[in-house]
Amino acid sequence: MSAGGQSQAMFFRARAARQAGDVGLRRTLQKARPLFVGKRAKGIAGLAADGLGFGALRTACADIRRRVVDDLDVWLEIFEERARATGAEVLWARDGAEIRRHVLDIAARHGVTKAVKSKSMLSEEAGLNEALADAGIRPVETDLGEYIVQLAGEAPSHIIAPAVHKTIHEVEALFAAEHGRPLQARSSADIPAMAREAREVLRQHFLSADMGISGANFLIAETGSAALVTNEGNGRMVTTLPSVHVVITGIEKIVPTLEDFASLMRLLPRSATGQTISNYVSLLTGTRGAGDGEGPEKTVFILVDNGRAALAGSDFADMLRCIRCGACMNHCPVYFSLGGHAYGWVYPGPMGSVLTPLYTGIENALDLPHASTGCNQCGVVCPVEIPLPALMHRLREVQVERRLRPLAERLGLGAWGWLARRPTLYRLVVRLAARYLRWLADDSGRIRVFGLAPGWSAGRDLVPPSGPTFLERYAARKKD
Amino acid sequence: MSARDEILGRVRRGLGKGDAAGRRAKAEALLAAPVRGPQPAIGGELVARFVARAESLTSTVSRVAAASEVPASVAAWLAAQGLDSYCVATADVGDLPWSAAGIAAAVRSAQDADMVGITGCYCAIAETGTLILLSGPETPASVSLLPETHVAVVPAERVVATMEDAFALLRSERPGFLPRAVNLVSGPSRTGDIEQTIVLGAHGPCRVHIVIVGDAPAGAR
Ligand code: SF4
Repeated sequence: MSAGGQSQAMFFRARAARQAGDVGLRRTLQKARPLFVGKRAKGIAGLAADGLGFGALRTACADIRRRVVDDLDVWLEIFEERARATGAEVLWARDGAEIRRHVLDIAARHGVTKAVKSKSMLSEEAGLNEALADAGIRPVETDLGEYIVQLAGEAPSHIIAPAVHKTIHEVEALFAAEHGRPLQARSSADIPAMAREAREVLRQHFLSADMGISGANFLIAETGSAALVTNEGNGRMVTTLPSVHVVITGIEKIVPTLEDFASLMRLLPRSATGQTISNYVSLLTGTRGAGDGEGPEKTVFILVDNGRAALAGSDFADMLRCIRCGACMNHCPVYFSLGGHAYGWVYPGPMGSVLTPLYTGIENALDLPHASTGCNQCGVVCPVEIPLPALMHRLREVQVERRLRPLAERLGLGAWGWLARRPTLYRLVVRLAARYLRWLADDSGRIRVFGLAPGWSAGRDLVPPSGPTFLERYAARKKD
Repeated sequence: MSARDEILGRVRRGLGKGDAAGRRAKAEALLAAPVRGPQPAIGGELVARFVARAESLTSTVSRVAAASEVPASVAAWLAAQGLDSYCVATADVGDLPWSAAGIAAAVRSAQDADMVGITGCYCAIAETGTLILLSGPETPASVSLLPETHVAVVPAERVVATMEDAFALLRSERPGFLPRAVNLVSGPSRTGDIEQTIVLGAHGPCRVHIVIVGDAPAGAR
């Protein structure tokens, strides 16, 4: 993560240009893209064999999430009561700073020197790793992808495949340095050996850590439990071996019942990786029971706002349904041209283009709602019916309403609006403009450099308008 | 104002609904009578479906007629894999005649050095080929987690169709009580984090072997 969870989304254009120019990165991403798309398609197709339709299931899942979001205050109170009744502690955090304060407090109270972490996006939002390290506590990311980006000193570039942007050679260099061994030549055939090496190193961290930090894929109101979904088993390790378990999660993550959870689990893994189910799904409730020889003695939930509460009842409330499956970015042409780091904060792709401005300030991420082709592939695949393009569109409108667009754009649109309300003048100007453009064209009939939009014509030629204007033709047809 | 009250206040203002008591009652009613979503049509015999799914997740499966035959079956499988016959086991399967089959089964939590862990299971899900394991003093979760090889003993009559059926079983057999961990295990652990190449054996076991005991007749559940 960039320092302290700070958003770099204001620099989207610069970051995007840099990322788009990275040929190696583009090759890596282009290799991954069909895998993501193909796996999901196969996973969704598998539903039909059991007589389930994606449409019906998706509506059911969206409704479950709607029910929670529509009465979020009530569900939060119920979850809090029931989680406390199981012996867990429940804390609340307004923002990243409060998350850091809570975690450092708990760590100090229990004399923690090492924390093993299973993927938690909230910890990224809070820049928790830096805070832990500053306090002399070693944070160790244990999801293999997170471990790789932590070694690289980078942020994840994808919410379910954090190191999707890394090649095997980059991973090898990081492992050789961290594990204190000479660099080796590596091919794909060596990937099992490299995973094995990471397993052995991380195993020692699991065994020696005093605190486990995880997110939660869902909070189950009925039982006061956290549900954790992983393939590697690191989620189980982190929540079984250390004596303290801290769950850091957004306030919107609740589902009412175990039945609701079962429905969502038919779509979450399929949407994310195409799997019918992830290898490990754990429902974690309270602390170790009487007579248990293992499991945490202390469980703490930190329920985090950090911009979420403000979405309740707003034009953007749909976004609170998100279950962080990653399908929207896996199907996004913009994401696969740029990679996740271009987006500048924790969440990339279409969901990030909506969440980042909402959580970090609309004025701090002006370009993100525009980083879209409007193709709506994300809206089609989203398992909880979030209309992502419509939300991006609404964010653009808010930018205009709040006068956040650049002066030139505002003046230009203002001038056009003024003109469009005066039909006679408009027709005259359009006719003159068409002539002017034809005059600008060179011998080949193209405009090579267009002074009004030099950036646009730097990479392409403009074809000048030919023949009469639309309104002239329209008028002529009406006479016929 | 506390963070809690401030956050809840912000949510309430945003929703602008009032009638907290009425909404609360509605939510409690939903919890009291959980409703299932769209259910899959799991046709055919549940055990056969469970086996097919488990194998597609790269678990291996063998079947025996009675619990007393489990140790010999496990011993033969371990030998075929070239694995050690020293195992850590959970208490629910600790009473099986392991030593007669040449297996030294230590009933305790697992440690880093343990190579094979043997567990029973609470129930299993045919839809996805999933084992449901409950943590507890008799059934520590580490036994199915730390060793490289996990052997699970599954009574055929404990195979249910769906996750919802498994939760229904939990509600009826252990009302109002979930153990610290309910672990749903579907095959060996895996990672795809290096160049999206799937590798078996990330942090959990690299191998899962399932021994199904008995023969539930079609549609028995
Ligand atoms: S917006 Fe939808 S598709 Fe994207 S991560 Fe969230 S749930 Fe998945």
